[in-house]
Amino acid sequence: MTSTLSAQSILDGAEKEPEVRVELECHDLSYAYPNGKLVFKDVNLTTFEDELVAIVGPTGTGKSTLLRCLGALLKPASGHVFLQGKEVVHPSSKISLIHQSIATFPWMTALDNVKLALKCKKVDDKEATEISEKMLDVVGLKGVENDYPKEMSGGMRQRIAIARSLAASPAILLMDEPFVHLDEITATGLRKEIYSLVFNPETSLKSAILVSHNLNEVVELADRVYVMNGSPAKITDVIKIEFPRPRSPKDPLFFEYADKLYSDLNLKEIAP
Amino acid sequence: MDLLLIGFATLATVARVLALIGLSILTGWLLAWLAIKNRTFENAYVPLVNALESIPVLAFLPIVLVVFVSRIGGVLGVEVSADFLVFDAVAWNIWIGIYQAFKTVPENLLEVAENNRLGSLRTLRLLYIPHSIPRISSNIFSSFADAFFYISVSEVFSITVQGQPVIYKTFGIGTVITLATQAGDYLTVYYSLVFIAIAVITITALISVFSKRAVAKYGVDTVGEIHRGRHYGRWLAFHDQRQRLSKYTSRLTVYQRRQRPIQEEEDEISANTRHRRDMMGKWVALSAGAIILAYLLYSSIALAVSIPFQQWMGYLTSTPFLLYNMAVDYVRVAIITAASLGVAITLGYYMATHARAGAVISPLIQVLAAFPAPTYFPLIYVATLPFLSAALPTFYVEIYIFILGFLSCFYYIFFDFWIGVKAIPSEFWEVMQNHELGFFTRMKRIILPATFPYLVTGLSSTINSCWAGLAIGEYWVLISPNHDLIANVGMMKYISLNLANGNVGAAAYVSLLFAVVVIVYGLFFTRNLMDLARKKYVVEEGIYAA
Repeated sequence: MTSTLSAQSILDGAEKEPEVRVELECHDLSYAYPNGKLVFKDVNLTTFEDELVAIVGPTGTGKSTLLRCLGALLKPASGHVFLQGKEVVHPSSKISLIHQSIATFPWMTALDNVKLALKCKKVDDKEATEISEKMLDVVGLKGVENDYPKEMSGGMRQRIAIARSLAASPAILLMDEPFVHLDEITATGLRKEIYSLVFNPETSLKSAILVSHNLNEVVELADRVYVMNGSPAKITDVIKIEFPRPRSPKDPLFFEYADKLYSDLNLKEIAP
Repeated sequence: MDLLLIGFATLATVARVLALIGLSILTGWLLAWLAIKNRTFENAYVPLVNALESIPVLAFLPIVLVVFVSRIGGVLGVEVSADFLVFDAVAWNIWIGIYQAFKTVPENLLEVAENNRLGSLRTLRLLYIPHSIPRISSNIFSSFADAFFYISVSEVFSITVQGQPVIYKTFGIGTVITLATQAGDYLTVYYSLVFIAIAVITITALISVFSKRAVAKYGVDTVGEIHRGRHYGRWLAFHDQRQRLSKYTSRLTVYQRRQRPIQEEEDEISANTRHRRDMMGKWVALSAGAIILAYLLYSSIALAVSIPFQQWMGYLTSTPFLLYNMAVDYVRVAIITAASLGVAITLGYYMATHARAGAVISPLIQVLAAFPAPTYFPLIYVATLPFLSAALPTFYVEIYIFILGFLSCFYYIFFDFWIGVKAIPSEFWEVMQNHELGFFTRMKRIILPATFPYLVTGLSSTINSCWAGLAIGEYWVLISPNHDLIANVGMMKYISLNLANGNVGAAAYVSLLFAVVVIVYGLFFTRNLMDLARKKYVVEEGIYAA
């Protein structure tokens, strides 16, 4: 049932069709705190076109930090990140981050929050409004464009953040536990929509990386899962999840994948 | 020259300033709490504090003379006078900062407090006071700087009484410098400046550490690292340990209380009891407000009736001329404030986004801010006068007034903005980076709105303190051995000139006119801006973490 791949084999493209394009990749990425302590070391990760990749690992392994290094929001101690073959050295709207703590600007309406992503682009105000309205429509917020975030629920605020990210026409979406602050019903609803949202033909998105502690969420959404473990953390396994969507938690295969992930995360020893 | 005397005088001044800052914080918490509890008190408190903050230290001399020097008299009277003048330099900006911090406590945290029935005092202790600490830490810089700015006029002042100058003085470095300057003992002046520099650097370094930790600990979701006491000095570690111990003991007390059924406690605090407590709080607030207002009214009336009727008529007929003088000063204030805001925003943003540059520039500005400008400004004046007076014979006086005004108030807006920028959540910075927002877009869309409550505080204090800079700059007799710095026209010059000539009534009348203008400004400007800041620009509400 499961197909476990080594990180290197993925990088080599051994298990992937040759025509599938590499979108984001990082080579030997390490990150250290200012005191020199390594958080993770020699991480290699690749995402392909139309693929949602998840990163799982115990608390403190630096998953969120890795996400920020991929987006060049943090400078790694060593290693390189490439977007469509070009090295990423500065933060760019082509790699967009959705935060764990939902970040919306309280003094801006939903529409203005989304339009913010277009400020650095050469689009006039009319066009920016049209794009933003379209993205709000994509995330299901049509009709509340002029409402302020504080007038909305957590789920709606997260949709604003997603719409803002999508409006910037990113190639890669980085999602740092995007559902963790939402109630279960809202999270379940949004989870169901997220795959079609991010890979909507109306968006420019090529691939997405999700960091999550919720293994069910990961099995439901991901095409491949990178497992991080140890201190400093390393990629200890790459699991390909292959069964058709929509994936039901009642499906026996779902259980098997979740169980496999659970076992991987509970490994005490890390293979050298 | 006596180095020991200079050392003790410096210590006396530092102790005086720190003690009065402490008093300002304690009273600020109490008054701000009363203000948020009671709308009537708030309506009187905010414009009054604004008015008091705007009125320069020198303009308080009439009250000092009437209330302290003549009524109390002796050494104690002069000491209380000096304390009052130093308090005037430090308190208002701390008071208004605390009030504004109390007004911007996030709604959800207030709801948590209400939900858990913390009660007024516990809400004050556990929510309002901690929330005000970052704001206090930013305001202490400017208060300390302001207190030192005025040491030469607070610790020693001279008034003409019946044609004879009378000097009132108390022990401190301000008195040492003033008396040494008058005696031509410049060696003592230079050594005093060195002692002040040492004191200022030490205190600002300590305040800087406090401020950094305060923002890291009490700011909502900042990028700063919370200090855990491990690296504290021995005393602070002991203090920290004691705090932790007291937490444990208070927890035990809570457990003991909890042995009773919760339902019982809920029943005890009935709706009636809570209503009675609320009413009691309102009455306490109203009574405190009434006492303060009554005292101020009494003092004002006492001063007013001491002036003959004919003199009053003279003052009234001069009102248009005085208003013209006031308008000229407002133009000066507007120019200085605009310059301060521009520099503060640019420099503050640069420092916040360039950590290394910030680490170097910040202590320099703190020291410069705390170093009393009147002590070194004459050196700038003497060094530049030949060039400036030759190059700009018509405007050079205005330029010097501008420089002194800027040096007296720039730090307020700078430190407030800087602390505000540092309190912006890390997620916001990441969104700005992620979407590659340029400087102007960041400023317009995110940084200025996010720091809006801090900017309101800073602008309010800057505008108000600017007047104090003008008070010294517009009328400075013998700024150098052969020169006076005197403005052609200006309200502050009018006040200083009349005080120097012993015409206390004329100075008090202008101060009264000015106070009226400032109260109106406080009612229609500051309060509305603060309400707007609370409704729309609470940066903490931008982060949703359910």
